[in-house]
Amino acid sequence: MKMLVKLGELFDASRLIPIDSAHVSGVSYKTLGEAPTDFLTALANANEKVVVEATLNPQSLDPKHLAKRLPTNLVERQRKLNTIFDKLGFLKSFTCTPYYIKEPRSGAHLAWAESSAVVYANSVLKAWTNREGGPSALAAAIIGKTPDCGIHRIENRKPKAIAEVEATLEDETEYGALGIFLGKILEDKIPLIKGLRNPSLENLKQLGAALASAGMANMFHYEESAVTEGKLEKITVETKHIKETLEELTTATTQKPDLIFVGCPHCSLQEIKEIANTIRNRKVKSNIEFWICTSRKIKEKAKAYVSKIEASGAKILTDTCAIVTWTDKLGIKTIMTNSAKTSHYAPTLNKAETILAPLKECLKTALKQ
Amino acid sequence: MTKCIVLRGRGIVEGYCKAEALVSTKPISFLGDVDPENGKIVEKRHDLYGESVKDKALCFPHGHGSTVGSYILYSLARKGLAPKAIINHKADPVIVVGAVMANIPMVDKIEIGQIKNGDLVEVNANKGTVKILKLSGELKSRI
Repeated sequence: MKMLVKLGELFDASRLIPIDSAHVSGVSYKTLGEAPTDFLTALANANEKVVVEATLNPQSLDPKHLAKRLPTNLVERQRKLNTIFDKLGFLKSFTCTPYYIKEPRSGAHLAWAESSAVVYANSVLKAWTNREGGPSALAAAIIGKTPDCGIHRIENRKPKAIAEVEATLEDETEYGALGIFLGKILEDKIPLIKGLRNPSLENLKQLGAALASAGMANMFHYEESAVTEGKLEKITVETKHIKETLEELTTATTQKPDLIFVGCPHCSLQEIKEIANTIRNRKVKSNIEFWICTSRKIKEKAKAYVSKIEASGAKILTDTCAIVTWTDKLGIKTIMTNSAKTSHYAPTLNKAETILAPLKECLKTALKQ
Repeated sequence: MTKCIVLRGRGIVEGYCKAEALVSTKPISFLGDVDPENGKIVEKRHDLYGESVKDKALCFPHGHGSTVGSYILYSLARKGLAPKAIINHKADPVIVVGAVMANIPMVDKIEIGQIKNGDLVEVNANKGTVKILKLSGELKSRI
């Protein structure tokens, strides 16, 4: 409660407002560790319960594919954490894309952590949420309210800068690179991004995830019709900016990954369909692991494609992703991914080298021709 | 009496301390940039790469990135590896929540460019001030 009041005071909230849902980050034992586990245990032992629909970010393992390959003590710690979240009343969603499970209505007030979901909710789905810290989203879930501040207020949702994209963005990695480039410049300023040509929802997802990784902006506007007021700071994004950002995000000197990882943020049904259709009857090379990460719900919905994909030797993982599991303990040193966010975090969180490449390149590298 | 620089900002998490300043021009994501096991900055592209945040008055423009950062600050504090104070240009909610949980004095709206690595600073987060008590080495030309 203290942290919510503190946030409210700082950002000039005069009241708390009810929320439709909460989504918490800090679910993987790998990222969380022991002290926060104690904190969550104390909350559960005090019989605290969520009072709104509350979902969980990914955990550190996929029960089917990874649990047996990871050290038993770590798997046990994760299971203990899951029991605590269960006691607190959370849904076992284990996804960074709660909007694929239940899409929030336009205009709904939410308290979501998971920065990529925050940006997607605000920018694409037109729901209203600040980028909550993991613990403040948890506190909001328990009281069902959040401070009426930040972008819960209409005056704070207006563009504060204009990004003129002169570069033609060819694929999802270039949308991700745009996000990283802008995130570094913008601090918390909401941009109106001009010049995107009919971006797919998946490309906007990549853009938002990267924007939030590199900065603290929690939304962007991309419709040409967006209204701006006064004279705004203008940023021009040229092809060279995108190219340089892409180059910075690849740290590996080799083109031989141990793991190819798609699904940061978690894959949509459309992405899984596209992967299945591209794989056709081909097989994954024997010296490479190929992970496609999504939520349990999307995997269930995508049943027909899942069998096709898994017949190739690729694995469809639920509940987790490469970033929040212990890839280093699986002997993975180089990760190829189509996600700028993963490329941004993997060198530190996975102690891995990265190769950022679009899905079609990832598939080409993964599959026998 | 020696002259000293007083910077005025906004108190965020109450508290008072004296500590050596560790100053960055880059934002920090506590998840990813900081190793929770030893308090060191592990992001190679960061200007504080290899430095430890332990017991420092940590000055950086703002937080960014992962919302798990709040828990990392809390973990650092529980292990005695946290900074003694956090001084920002602009407070990020993720850092604020972490500082509240970890009870780390925090101020923002501070012109952190005035503070240099190694300065001894007095942070009074009740008043929102940062006083530079002792300037590091060659930078005495600042006053």
